[in-house]
Amino acid sequence: MVTALEVAVRIGLLPQAWFPPPSRIVPAFVELAVGGELFAPVGQTLQGWVLGVLAATVVAVPLGVVIGSLPLAHRLTRFMLEFLRPIPPVALIPAAVLIFGSGLDMKVFLIAFGAFWPVLLQTVYGVHDVDPTARDAARCYGLGARAVLVRITVPSALPYLATGLRIASAIALILAVTSEIVVGVPGIGVRITDAQAAGGAEDVMYAWILAAGLLGWALNAVLHAVERRVLHWHPSYRGGSR
Amino acid sequence: MLDVRELTKTYDGVAAVADLTFTVGEHEFVCIVGSSGCGKTTMLRCLSGLVEPTSGGVTLHGARVDGPPRDMAYVFQDYSRSLLPWMTVAANVSFPLPYKGLSKAEAAAATAEALDAVGLGDRGDAYPWQLSGGMQQRVAIARALAYQPRILLMDEPFASVDAQTRADLEDLLLRIWRRYRITILFVTHDIDEAVYLSQRVLVLHRPAHVHEVVEIDLPAERDQLSTKRLPGFGELRTRVLSSLRAPDPAGVNP
Repeated sequence: MVTALEVAVRIGLLPQAWFPPPSRIVPAFVELAVGGELFAPVGQTLQGWVLGVLAATVVAVPLGVVIGSLPLAHRLTRFMLEFLRPIPPVALIPAAVLIFGSGLDMKVFLIAFGAFWPVLLQTVYGVHDVDPTARDAARCYGLGARAVLVRITVPSALPYLATGLRIASAIALILAVTSEIVVGVPGIGVRITDAQAAGGAEDVMYAWILAAGLLGWALNAVLHAVERRVLHWHPSYRGGSR
Repeated sequence: MLDVRELTKTYDGVAAVADLTFTVGEHEFVCIVGSSGCGKTTMLRCLSGLVEPTSGGVTLHGARVDGPPRDMAYVFQDYSRSLLPWMTVAANVSFPLPYKGLSKAEAAAATAEALDAVGLGDRGDAYPWQLSGGMQQRVAIARALAYQPRILLMDEPFASVDAQTRADLEDLLLRIWRRYRITILFVTHDIDEAVYLSQRVLVLHRPAHVHEVVEIDLPAERDQLSTKRLPGFGELRTRVLSSLRAPDPAGVNP
């Protein structure tokens, strides 16, 4: 694909003014990395991602466990959640800027809002889906309500939570870069708009886009590795160790 | 020791268990047979204190059962769902023990002994899903043994394993019953199995109530080949089967 892109640009299929060939983007990227310029913005974007996903998880998981295990809580919250969930997080940007200013707080709020829903819903599904036989077995063997929650419900909901986190991770990166591009919160997004505005620095702009892509790929790889370790017992990860 | 008295459980006005009365004595091996859907599972859930009966009650050693009793263990039909896939075999056996008040060392010793008793002493570090179905059900039996119950409730425990494994598990269970001198209440829909294992067969009709009690007067020492060849075995089999199929005199069944 890289070769095809290179050829397409070289033969003029794509205008070179807007589409620098990969042979210019990659050196621009290497230059950012070697010069050390790459790391501060990537760190800022990553910081927003980490804080936002963390905040979402800390609130959504306990709430999801409560909603998933108490039918009354499910009924009480359903209307409110169904109303809030369809709000596109980016629609909250103006309000978020008013409330939190245009710094890290605003970025973290936006990410947390977007990441909250998949984590919450997956936790609710996971808790709902606990095998009744496993729960009965635990109760027969003298486990009380709290012990059943800790020993049975939470572990069986973990695979669902992992899926929720992966969806949340992708949404969080989108919202991080969006808040940087739209509001100007420091991070990769700002560098992309700066390079675009500079004129003649399209290769640098694409180098930053490449950085955003690589960050997303790396985050997914890390989550996948953690999942593989924690959920080694789950059918989707069982090795051929029979 | 286990006393079931006029036990009734209705769901939305429909009786699943109706006026069920029987007792199981100390160290007895009692089988309950009934056609599927006759309320056996509901009955077991009442006996184990998982659900409240609508009326009547269950007493164990004279104490009313209103929650899972500490000296009762339960083996489920569906081993793949009652064993926890994120725990090793040993952890599956030992995790209930601290809740019963056993120390770490006591729990480890009980687990090792129970796994040895079912012939899985060397598989403690495996995960249940790495084992065959029969081995998984042995893990479930080990978990019940390690809990050191005085009565063991078993809900069609061998219904989903192949015939040879089933015969092996039946003999294993008989050995365990003698060695640990526990009381076993074993629910099955397999008449051969009921006659082979037990000292007494309760035939249940729907909604769950005792239609007939068949005393199994076979020699105490059972063997898959010679016991099942005895003329008495065939006669008892036929008696249980005809009792299962008999119409209810009171007209409870349509």
